[in-house]
Amino acid sequence: MRSWGWADVVLLLLKLRALVVLVALLVLFTALTPTFLTTNNLSILAKHVSINALLAVGMTFVVITAGIDLSVGSIAGLAGMVAGGLLTVGIGGHVAPAWLAVIVALLVSASVGWLNGIMVTRLGVAPFIATLGTLYIARGAALLLSNGRTFPDLAGTAARGNTGFTAIGQSFILRVPTPVWMMVVIAAATAFVAIRTPFGRHVYAVGGNERAARLAGIRVERVIVWTYVFSALCAGLVGMIIASQLEAAHPATGESFELNAIAAVVLGGTSLMGGRGTVGGSLIGACVIGVLADGLVMMGVSEFWQMVIKGLVIVGAVTVDQMQMKVQARMMPALLRSRSKITKVPM
Amino acid sequence: MRSLRIVFLLSLTLLTGCGRHDHRPLIAIIVPSQDNPFFKAEADAAATRATELGYRVRVDAHEDDAYRQDNLVDAAIASNAAVLILDNAGTDASISAVRRATKAGLKVFLIDRAINATGIAKAQIVSDNNQGAHLVATEFAHVMGGKGDYVELLGRESDTNTQVRTKGFHEVLDHFPDLKPVGAQSANWSQSEAFSKTETMLQAHAHIAGIIAGNDTMALGAAAAVKSAGLTGIKIVGFDGSPDVIAAIKTGDIQATALQPAVFIAQLAVDEANTLLKTGTTGKPEMQVIPCELATKANANEYVNFEHVAPQTQSAKESRE
Repeated sequence: MRSWGWADVVLLLLKLRALVVLVALLVLFTALTPTFLTTNNLSILAKHVSINALLAVGMTFVVITAGIDLSVGSIAGLAGMVAGGLLTVGIGGHVAPAWLAVIVALLVSASVGWLNGIMVTRLGVAPFIATLGTLYIARGAALLLSNGRTFPDLAGTAARGNTGFTAIGQSFILRVPTPVWMMVVIAAATAFVAIRTPFGRHVYAVGGNERAARLAGIRVERVIVWTYVFSALCAGLVGMIIASQLEAAHPATGESFELNAIAAVVLGGTSLMGGRGTVGGSLIGACVIGVLADGLVMMGVSEFWQMVIKGLVIVGAVTVDQMQMKVQARMMPALLRSRSKITKVPM
Repeated sequence: MRSLRIVFLLSLTLLTGCGRHDHRPLIAIIVPSQDNPFFKAEADAAATRATELGYRVRVDAHEDDAYRQDNLVDAAIASNAAVLILDNAGTDASISAVRRATKAGLKVFLIDRAINATGIAKAQIVSDNNQGAHLVATEFAHVMGGKGDYVELLGRESDTNTQVRTKGFHEVLDHFPDLKPVGAQSANWSQSEAFSKTETMLQAHAHIAGIIAGNDTMALGAAAAVKSAGLTGIKIVGFDGSPDVIAAIKTGDIQATALQPAVFIAQLAVDEANTLLKTGTTGKPEMQVIPCELATKANANEYVNFEHVAPQTQSAKESRE
């Protein structure tokens, strides 16, 4: 039996291409910018990555079911405004404590996600259209909450009993920023759900072949609704992290975040056709986009070039994705001969 | 089906009935957005003054989209507006819309941003961005003590104001050999983008002593990043005079900003439109440039929501008029 032929190496590199790109970027920026590889900078970098990574991880399940969630940026903005409004203006003169504001904001986010799911499953609206609709609805609602203004002073005062909100985005646990912990914990939990639980298998089954999944007795509607609710919850969390970092909730927060999240998911090898993809891939995809953005800023590259380069990386990654499929198809007989069995797909 | 049709007809007559009751001439106000405190203050000031003077008012936002602006201008024409107060969506892209409105008989007053054509609008009233940039940059150089590394946050690089302001900044700052620009990044006028880009630039350059921002929201983002990095003594200046930055100037987180007299300009435009409708002339040249004012800790109390409220400005305003 042959072990580790050239074909396996090529395939492995293609499979791990996002990781290869990430390592290449890290090496490149370390060589070009003296302060890139410092604990301080890596900590800030990870904090910046966590925003997009949380959105991407949340959206991974949706994309695996062959859906898409365009509303995440607006939901982030709405969640920040709901929390900010409850904290500083309150209802009837009573301001909410931080924990209550967070819970209400998450509930509002989840209900937008639920609405997405219901439209997609019960009303048969295409995911692209349904979430495009909620993109506008949630953004409009965020603007209506304050009549377009910013809610400032989210740090709160002890006298009003509304302090503590800033901990979400500004605190550290074991010298690592809290948003980074959120990213790590949520990504790990999501990956666990994907690989080890029936729900995870159902998500892949629905995306792979919805009819077959339905015939196999999977409650397709329920699975899809939950994926949108989870995506919306992650988006709500992101909105509050940003509001907490800025100590201000601005209704335009999160504009075009959905595009970065989709880019991270696609970079991570998840197929927009559904049925194929991993949570770890999305995490690495978000790292690639984040490292690229911060590294180019540190080098002083202009915004225009940053956009061009980001676009090239996304297009390049998807092109390689197509190549991988072709190579895999061509080499399959050789691989089958060299291996006793094929390892299972999802990681 | 029939009942639906009746409801439809009924509501139609009701709607037209509403229109007939109100004979006051309409002033249409179109601004870039209503979620930005600057444009909101501007729109509110114009709307309030117009209502006081006995006009009907409608406020719309074009979101910096020239196509959307086109549709809104068409809507203003269709609803027989007498006056259009417009903060436009692009110096060149807005010319045709302004021309169309003028041809349809609307008196067009451009505020805050000019267009690349004269003789079409009745007036173009703008704040002096170049002079404002000089004001802030001079104060920035002063608080920096004339030396040290600094970074600049630029607005959206395709906007005219971004170019005018950064040019104005450098016309002053480049005269100080010991003031070293170590980085310049666009944060697209956005607070959260300014926050993350400042954090990153603070990592790339260890000795940053000052940050000069092309507008106030970016200055606020920069101030949050400086605070989050646990740094003190970094001098930050902005541009616009937003209430949030005025508050930050009072606490010392931000050192200065150039207040654009948005409220004054909006009111002036409505007043001139009123004069034009009553007398047939504004009595003013088309191009009117209103100077910015410098807000620092010393005079921050005098500024409320893009308006100078201290008594001496009232007389300054009158002398300008």
